[in-house]
Amino acid sequence: MTIKVFRWRAVGPLLVLFVIGCVLWWLFADTIARHETTKVGTQIMGAKVEIQSLHLDLPNGKVLIRGLTIASPHEAFRNLLQADELVADLDVVPLTEEKVIINRIAANGLRFGTPRATDGRVAAKSGEGIAGRVLAETKAWASQFQIPVLQLATGKISIDSLDPRRLSTIPAATALSARADSARRAWQAAFDSLRLGPTLDSASATLERLRHARATDLAALNEARQALDRLKRARDRVTALDRNVKTGVAELRAGLAGLDSARRRDYAFARSLLKLPSLEAPEIGAALFAPGAIKPFERVLYYAQLARRYMPPGLLPRASTGPSRLRRAGEDVRFPKEHALPAFLLRSAELSFLLHPASAQPQRYAGHLTGLTSDPALYGRPTSFGATGPQLAAGAMLNHLRDIPVDTAGATVGGITLPAFQLPGVPLRLDPGAVTTQLGFALNGDTIHARFGIRSTNVRWARDSGFTNSTIGDLIWRTVSGISNLDVEARLSGALHHPDLAVRSNLDQAIASRLRAVLGEQVAAAEKQMRDRVDSLINDKVGPVRARVNEVQSQAQAQVAQQQARLDALQKQLEQRLRELTGFRLP
Amino acid sequence: MFALIKLIQSLFGALHSEGTPGQLAAGMVLGSFLGLTPLFNLHNALIFAALVLLNVSFAGGLLGWALFVPVGFLLDPLFDWIGHRLLLAESLGGLWTSLYNTPVVPLTNFNNTVVLGSLVFALLASVPLFFVLRWAVARYRVTIGERVRQSRFYKTVMASKVYNVYKMFRP
Repeated sequence: MTIKVFRWRAVGPLLVLFVIGCVLWWLFADTIARHETTKVGTQIMGAKVEIQSLHLDLPNGKVLIRGLTIASPHEAFRNLLQADELVADLDVVPLTEEKVIINRIAANGLRFGTPRATDGRVAAKSGEGIAGRVLAETKAWASQFQIPVLQLATGKISIDSLDPRRLSTIPAATALSARADSARRAWQAAFDSLRLGPTLDSASATLERLRHARATDLAALNEARQALDRLKRARDRVTALDRNVKTGVAELRAGLAGLDSARRRDYAFARSLLKLPSLEAPEIGAALFAPGAIKPFERVLYYAQLARRYMPPGLLPRASTGPSRLRRAGEDVRFPKEHALPAFLLRSAELSFLLHPASAQPQRYAGHLTGLTSDPALYGRPTSFGATGPQLAAGAMLNHLRDIPVDTAGATVGGITLPAFQLPGVPLRLDPGAVTTQLGFALNGDTIHARFGIRSTNVRWARDSGFTNSTIGDLIWRTVSGISNLDVEARLSGALHHPDLAVRSNLDQAIASRLRAVLGEQVAAAEKQMRDRVDSLINDKVGPVRARVNEVQSQAQAQVAQQQARLDALQKQLEQRLRELTGFRLP
Repeated sequence: MFALIKLIQSLFGALHSEGTPGQLAAGMVLGSFLGLTPLFNLHNALIFAALVLLNVSFAGGLLGWALFVPVGFLLDPLFDWIGHRLLLAESLGGLWTSLYNTPVVPLTNFNNTVVLGSLVFALLASVPLFFVLRWAVARYRVTIGERVRQSRFYKTVMASKVYNVYKMFRP
């Protein structure tokens, strides 16, 4: 029996199935494309991408998108942009290679920073995907600039507790006390070893006999001479002991001076425990404006890093997270090939957008974007963006053609009304009014140079009611309330992982000089308080030690002096008597 | 529960069909491709077309699909690993680059680690799986097949088609 390999009668049903598939595609292609576009867009941006309607016209290579909304990845209830209409001219053939080549997009009715009803952040909440990782990295990067808030709001200077065990004077005093006791014992032993008593007694007895002797009593004269020799030797020993005592006393005195040095060190240590507000102008500028100035840098860096991930230089295979499905997503690996088309390319986009759409006279602007591609090495030209208008000049260039990518951006936008904000650490609310902002950003490999500036000529100040009774609050209020100009500049430079941030404003010097005048007295009082606290802790130890050293010194010196005096007196009397008996002076 | 009954019905329906053990095994092997690899991919359209057009057991194909879906889920980490090794192997870089830049081929999603890993695994497993299944079906039919056909359990399961009719019309 032979078995047929093909089941020819199944061709009909299979063709019917194919036709049904085509009909379903015709019916639902727009919906599927809209769904996929929003899904991919959301994944790329790290924020919700919504599209009201999308129409695919593949025979003519057109795609029409209406009602595009891209939420902000950073702010919960704000959109990054909205577009009324986007018309794209597609190359259809590359779609068979899963490559999207858009020759031109015309975008009309772009609006930026519009409010939204729901939280549109995705990466910030899930932390997943490339956008999630980049967002987490840039947040961590920005957190390194957390600057301690100035403690000026209440005018109080806080003091950490002073631990007596960390003072150096107390152990030094204890050691000096032990050394004094040791010296006293050593000197007493040395004094006892002199055995002056027998020498003095013997000399006294000789002197007594000599008083009753005649000039011819040679034995008495010899005995007197021997007694004198013994007295001289004893005196030499006492002199040696005296030198020893003087050296020891000098060392103990040096120890007492060391206690004074230790006390000064303890004063310095205690001063370091004072939380004194910074009175330097640059630090005040950083404390007041750095938290706000870091945000624009963080956001620009987020988009620059996203661009680097999605538009890497070179032609090596690149892996990215695969499509989400019930099964494991895996990774999609792309294999760019020289002289082939990139996976995504937007050759040119014409942008038309409004600024201040809610105002009576919204301003219309125009911009262009060229060469946005997933494979810059294949396209061969950098991505560039530019926009101009009455109060706007903006441009950006992403050059990922070489191994070291270079991303630059610059923008000057005038007439932007920023919301009022609380200045950190001071009892003030600043309403900058209509401002001109400037941003310059250059990321060359891993070296960043960026500048952000805000300028306003009609700022308004409001006082925080919580600080109405604060002296410092009054002081700062009086200082700044008369200032109507605001000029803030933040600069960032250095290695990307740890750049230097410098922030200055026209308020810094004014606030710093007034603070220095008022807080200087408080700082001095706080330092005196700390010195008194150190003194109270160490005086109990140092006082007895000082007394002990003095006592040991005077006791030893008195003992030596007393014995020296007795020896001198006896020697003098013996020599006097001998002169009387012999009539000549002894050598 | 309904799915389990359907699966058992398919199993017995295929085992006791008039097809040869080879046809049944071939159908199950094609079905295993549908189960092991992620379903919505271009290569599975070809597999389905083969299952329909080739003179293999369609019921066996559905059975193989149903049986290998959980296996596919379980082995996804292995497929991911295999795909990763293959796609990032330097020696195969030229092949993948050519395929990736060839029209239509990228639509198969071969450049996804799980898709490629599972497809390669299914291809390698297909030959031994075919012979094992053919032997198992033949042994079943000559040993306990007839006894099972006469059993009350078999009749009960197959009679549950009444339940299927009820399912079609229930609200």
